[in-house]
Amino acid sequence: MFIRTWPHDGREELKRVESYLGNNNDELQSFRHYETIDGCISRTSSFQIEQVKNNEENRVIALQHKRKTEGKTEKIENKKKKKIKTEDETESSMKGKSNMSNSETSSEIQKRDYIHVRARRGEATDRHSLAERARREKLSKKMKCLQDIVPGCNKVTGKAGMLDEIINYVQSLQQQVEFLSMKLSVLNPELEYHINELSTKQFQACFTDLPEAVSKQLMMVDASSFPLQHQESLDYSVINSIQTTTLGSKDQTSSGWEIHSQSLYNNLRTDSVSSFFSLE
Amino acid sequence: MASADKPINTDVPEKDVFALHFLQSLSNLRRQNTFNSPEKTNDRVKKIKKAAYVSMARAAGGTNRLWSRALLRRAAKENNKIVRFPRRKKRVTCLRRRSNRRDPVEEEEAERLRNLVPGGGGMGTSKLMEETAHYIKCLSMQVKVMQCLVDGLAPK
Repeated sequence: MFIRTWPHDGREELKRVESYLGNNNDELQSFRHYETIDGCISRTSSFQIEQVKNNEENRVIALQHKRKTEGKTEKIENKKKKKIKTEDETESSMKGKSNMSNSETSSEIQKRDYIHVRARRGEATDRHSLAERARREKLSKKMKCLQDIVPGCNKVTGKAGMLDEIINYVQSLQQQVEFLSMKLSVLNPELEYHINELSTKQFQACFTDLPEAVSKQLMMVDASSFPLQHQESLDYSVINSIQTTTLGSKDQTSSGWEIHSQSLYNNLRTDSVSSFFSLE
Repeated sequence: MASADKPINTDVPEKDVFALHFLQSLSNLRRQNTFNSPEKTNDRVKKIKKAAYVSMARAAGGTNRLWSRALLRRAAKENNKIVRFPRRKKRVTCLRRRSNRRDPVEEEEAERLRNLVPGGGGMGTSKLMEETAHYIKCLSMQVKVMQCLVDGLAPK
């Protein structure tokens, strides 16, 4: 009987196991060779029934080595109890575990595609610890994502420090929002003037159902070509003419838009503030 | 490896979407008569701040993100309006009730994060991390937009 093993990226574990399996038993040599072919180690793997006992014994040895490093005593005891169990049982428990993690993780994964939770050598394979491990790995993946986003997170390692950094960053962003909204409220009268101008353009752009690239173009063109104080209302004909010319062009890249928005606001500042002061 | 997730999606729309929503909400604020009075600066500040958050939630998350839904719901409750969201297919809350989801070591910090991120109370820790990532991106984009606006309007 032959249980098919699945590929796994546990190359470093393979080396660790090879260091444990110091005794150069012939059968074990062939076992190791087989494992390197497949590239995976699984507690539930076996390729010949005669070798099962040897595998179990050596796993116990490896286990005792591991005990000093990991120190999860209750899990190791569970593992020892499981030593007597047959391969079928562990296989079914793994399948059951993968089912549980399937329902846990996401519903988008199709039913026929199991999530195989790898049981690493020396770690327990009962349901709860596998679930724990899967959860922890998911969490650490997300923390890595956060680490890329939050600046200055690279220096701090460990979950607690990183979470502190993240919390500080979120707080600082919220304070910045508050501060900028105070500034905006102070700038209220000029804001009103320009908001009216800008918002009529944008509203009309929305109402004519222009695609977003075109509306961007519209804002840019209007700000540069028409001086703001003369612009009471926008003609629909103007919008349509601009629409026909710019419909084909989709070269507005996102970075280009950043520059253009800056230029838009610069235009705001140069054209309209000067006009505002001249009107007074 | 362990679980075959699709990659975590934290895409945020471009700056102009945020700008559009924010300016629209500001112009809506203008229409209110009590807004332009020179006194009551605190009220004005609060309204602008709330408008900033609401427009950010609408621009970035819409109703697809938990934090934006929580924000919009909270804002609507303050205005005594009832907001109805379309029912999501995935039952978000049922996942949380499973046992052994919280690790007590990281839980105090997660609690602080929950207080900061809107809608944090109803999420498990792993979902909280995703939402925090998206929330941080949206917040930084909103800050950029507001900074641009302030710079554009500041007197020379």
